[in-house]
Order: sequence, then C-alpha cells, then structure tokens
Amino acid sequence: MNALINSGFWPYLLVIFVGFLPTDIWRWLAVIFARRLDEDSELMIFVRGVATAMVAGVIIRLVLFPTGDLVSIPLTIRIGAVAGGFFVYFLARRSTLIGVIAGEAIMIAGAYFNPA
Amino acid sequence: MAGLTSVQGAVLFASYVGFGGLCADIGVPLGAAAFSTFLIAALPSQLLLIGGYASGSAALVIALAVLLSAARLLPSVVTLLPYLRARFWTQLFASHFIAVTVWVESRRLLPPLPSEGRLPFFFGLVTLFNVSCVTATVLGFLLSGQLPRSLAIGLTFLTPISFLLALTRNSRDLVDYLSLAFGLALAPIFAEFSGRLDLLWTGLVGGAAAWLIHRLRKQKRAI
Repeated sequence: MNALINSGFWPYLLVIFVGFLPTDIWRWLAVIFARRLDEDSELMIFVRGVATAMVAGVIIRLVLFPTGDLVSIPLTIRIGAVAGGFFVYFLARRSTLIGVIAGEAIMIAGAYFNPA
Repeated sequence: MAGLTSVQGAVLFASYVGFGGLCADIGVPLGAAAFSTFLIAALPSQLLLIGGYASGSAALVIALAVLLSAARLLPSVVTLLPYLRARFWTQLFASHFIAVTVWVESRRLLPPLPSEGRLPFFFGLVTLFNVSCVTATVLGFLLSGQLPRSLAIGLTFLTPISFLLALTRNSRDLVDYLSLAFGLALAPIFAEFSGRLDLLWTGLVGGAAAWLIHRLRKQKRAI
C-alpha cells in the first residue's frame, strides 16, 4: 500500500476511485431510473441542501485554512475579499462577473501591499 | 460555437483556469489536475477531491464527500434525458458529460433544435466544453508559476470567489440559500472540533437544518 501511495500513480488512482466513480454513479443511476424520479421530491431537496452546504464548506475552508500561497495573506484580507465580492455582487444586481472582479481586486491589492 | 460565446462558458473556463492554479498551489501534479478535469468533468467533485487532499483527509472520507455532493447531478441528468433520446448505452455515455454548466446550456440550446439534431449537437457541445476545460486547467497550472506573486494569489483565489458567487446565483429556493449560509458558518466550527470528518458533518448538519426550516415553513403555509 505504501509503495503504491509513494508511486506517481497515486494521484491518478485518487482521481478515478475518489473523484470519477462517486460522481459518475449518479449520472448512471439517473439514466437507469429516469422514469421514477421527481426533481422536486423532499428527498431531492434534502440532497440538494447537503450538497450545497458541503461545497460551501469546502470553499470557505480553502479561504480560512489555506495551504499554499494564500497563507501569506492576513485573514482579515481573505475574509474581506470574500465579503467585498458578495457585497458588490448584490450591488451590481447579481452579476457574478462584477462580484468576482471586485473580490479579486481586493485580494490582489491585499497581496501586493502585504509582501511575503 | 454557441457554447464558447456564452457567459456561462466563459465563467466555466475562468473557473478551470483558477482550478489549475489552485492545483499548482496545493502541489497536485499537472497530469493529475488535467486528468481530473477530463475524467470527472464536475468542478464541485474536483474541488472536494483537491480540497480534501490538501487538508490530508482520508481517501474514503473524500470519496464519501464526493458521493454526497454529486447526488445533485442525478436530477440534472433526469431533466435533460427527454432531449437526448437514444439507445440506453448512448444515453449512459452522454450522461457522463452532464454537470451544472452543460445542463444550463443544454436547457437553453437543445429544445429549439429538431429532435434528430439534438444528440449530435450535444456531443459536439460537450466535446468543446471538455477540451476547453482541460486546456483551461493546464493554462491555470502553468500560469501560476509564471505570474508575479500578487497575481498568482489572485489566481488561487479565483476558484473560491467565483464558485461562491455562482452557488449564490444558482440558488432557487430558501433551501439553497440556507444550506449555503449554514455551510459557510458551520465549516470553520466543524473543522475545529470534529476532526477528519468535518466536511461530512458540515454537509449533513447544514443541509438537514436547511431542509427542516423549509419543511416547517411549508407546513405553516399549509395550515
């Protein structure tokens, strides 16, 4: 097992067994059971909630507990860039593009004025 | 070509440039990053995979998180199948390419076409998407080593910010907004206290709470 983990194949195996299979199984199940499923059933709404909360969680974790370059940026700037992006997004009548540009502007300025 | 000129397509391309940059930043090999885009073709799954890898989660935990989050693809595929009439195995193959952006664009572009033209158009569209997204991943990965520090950090931040805002924009009902807010609020708490399963707890508790509030409101309205 350790020899496998240390080999160059490990990331590719992760992609196949931890990323691809758990994702595609739902696509295949949809084709197999297409006629018996209702998009608006309570189970589907629950599943949507769990999926959304989990993806929101993994994203905010990347911002709050970063591993790479973002570590060198103070926490206040990281949170400020997210909050600023959200604020401008709503201000610009829900324009994702303008919101992203605003958040990025705060982050890049923050990085520029906070050299590592 | 309609796929390329769409705002959704542009946002997806930019998101994958960001994803490539993030992979470089975390230390995922370029080949694995590109391979994940080619084979998984669903950014939330890829983010959970990379994010879990970065925080040192066990493979089984990441697989479970991906499994739970990808369940949202099931209704997407179901609602698109009526436009993709074909033999079972062709449909099974077609379903592999369906993710949020492909779904949105197919709902817009497929219905006006004559029914015999929809499947070829769909396969053309998803091929274009797949090639563009793999290109974007490689581009982001390579860019990340070349850019000045502040821009490289901006590239790493592109995935979180664009995904959060896209998640907000795609929200339809109260459940979506609540689970988004709960996920953001609970993730740091569970990360602090619940060890390696924190992501699963965030999803289950946040999603369940959002669903319960949705149920209670529905019952109140019914009375």
